[in-house]
Amino acid sequence: MLELRRLTKYFGGVRAVDGVDLTVAEGEILGLIGPNGSGKSTIINLICGLFPLTDGEVVFRGTDISTLPPHERVALGIARTFQNIRLFGQLTVWQNLWVAQKARGQGRGFLRGWLGGSRHDRVAIDKTLDFFDLGHKRDELAGNLAFGEQRRLEFARAFAAKPSLLLLDEPAAGMNAEEIDQLDARIRQLRREGVTIVLIEHHVELVMSVTDRIAVLNFGQKIAEGTPAEIQTNPLVREAYLGTQTAA
Amino acid sequence: MDDYLVGVLSNIGVVSFVALSAYLLLLTGAISFGQQAFFAIGAYAAGVATALWGWPLAAALALGAAVSAAAAAAVGLPTLRLHGLYFAVATLAFAEMVRLLFELARYQVEIDGELVGPNGADGFRGIRYIFEHDLGPLQFLALIYGLLAAVLIGFMLMERSRLGVALRMVGEDEVLASLNGIAVARLKILAAGLAGALAGLGGGLYAHLTTYVEPRMFDVMLGVHSLAYGLIGGLGTAFGPLVGVLIDIGLLESIRPLAGYRMIVFGGLVALLLIARPRGLLDEAAVHWLQRAWRPRRRP
Repeated sequence: MLELRRLTKYFGGVRAVDGVDLTVAEGEILGLIGPNGSGKSTIINLICGLFPLTDGEVVFRGTDISTLPPHERVALGIARTFQNIRLFGQLTVWQNLWVAQKARGQGRGFLRGWLGGSRHDRVAIDKTLDFFDLGHKRDELAGNLAFGEQRRLEFARAFAAKPSLLLLDEPAAGMNAEEIDQLDARIRQLRREGVTIVLIEHHVELVMSVTDRIAVLNFGQKIAEGTPAEIQTNPLVREAYLGTQTAA
Repeated sequence: MDDYLVGVLSNIGVVSFVALSAYLLLLTGAISFGQQAFFAIGAYAAGVATALWGWPLAAALALGAAVSAAAAAAVGLPTLRLHGLYFAVATLAFAEMVRLLFELARYQVEIDGELVGPNGADGFRGIRYIFEHDLGPLQFLALIYGLLAAVLIGFMLMERSRLGVALRMVGEDEVLASLNGIAVARLKILAAGLAGALAGLGGGLYAHLTTYVEPRMFDVMLGVHSLAYGLIGGLGTAFGPLVGVLIDIGLLESIRPLAGYRMIVFGGLVALLLIARPRGLLDEAAVHWLQRAWRPRRRP
């Protein structure tokens, strides 16, 4: 479904992402892990089109989308969440989802797309809010929500765009054990509905439990790839996280 | 109604158009110090259309709005990637260019043995449409407020639509807006064009209200005021900038004992509100609260 070919991004002299090849298959959950600064978030940003590539290609469903602007990539079905919560605080919970909902299929005429808001659309939003346990907050301003609710709303907003590929950037950051269990359940539910997911996460248990495959990054390069079990025993991964073993 | 009151109300109505123009851009996060330029362009274009070409008023006002919209979209294009201070300076520079252009531009035609038309720094006299067509001050007042009401209804519809929400999204976080599928650049140009049309419409009305315009009227103070109206009155609803206009012109300028202190009070008010309520009296939270108080269980 998604293929990154020699993906490269330099910020000045910093090689944030350095020739990464990565394939995500339809319907799978891929974990993307690595120490801080290893290029995980940059890869997500590049897939969304937030800044231009230095080199390489992003191929989505067989077409090269490397030069498409972000809103056109969303229209193709790529949505994301942010590591540090980003919401429209001055809009209500409901409004936060309203525009995202039409991110795909704006094509039926300008006016209908912008002024519309059919009964069907409204029901779909209410359903999404219920799924993320936000139904009772629908008319609150997003900025007034508690932290955990904002995290859920961010997830809900990305989901409202009806993505076929969902990029989750540390969705469990700051969550307690119970919230992480709920997150785990939601990710599995989305997969059952056919959404492909790329998950960046530091929470080891969550990554090991929910992903099909894991890719490990270090210094902008992919150092390992495999099933969670394989990754857990990989010596290179240990080295990246814990440092080289020196003879005592 | 006495003439003074009619004059004040007409002024409030006309200035509201520029205030709404600046407000529309503020929604998208753009702080423009140049909306007075589109007010000026609308005033000159509509004035030329009736006084020199003998157009009917409606067509002249439409021309003023259209020319201003085109100019605003043309300014919006190169300034797309500018934010904050840089956008403010660019729009200010453009507005000053327009003002200086009108100081130099001459386009006069002899009508009934008299030269009529823009005459550089000496201004543009003889926009006498309302006298020639027996439009009384009250009728013109009704015209101003009729158009203003139409614009406000348009704003209310827009703010309840996806378009309105999308504009606010762009204003709050452009990157996040684009990730919600919004074509940010297109939307900003659209907002700039609409804002230009609004200012141009107001300018056309202004020219016919005063029958005389000169470049000096369209200096940066008008731009600063139109920005401040939204910031005082609030950015949560289109009624916010109108509250701002009412406070400034309705209260400070028109109550004579206060008039001398107008700029001092006005400046203080802006400073105070920017500290206490950065998004104005009727900000989003206030509007949200009011909507809930009026209509509990409202379905958006």
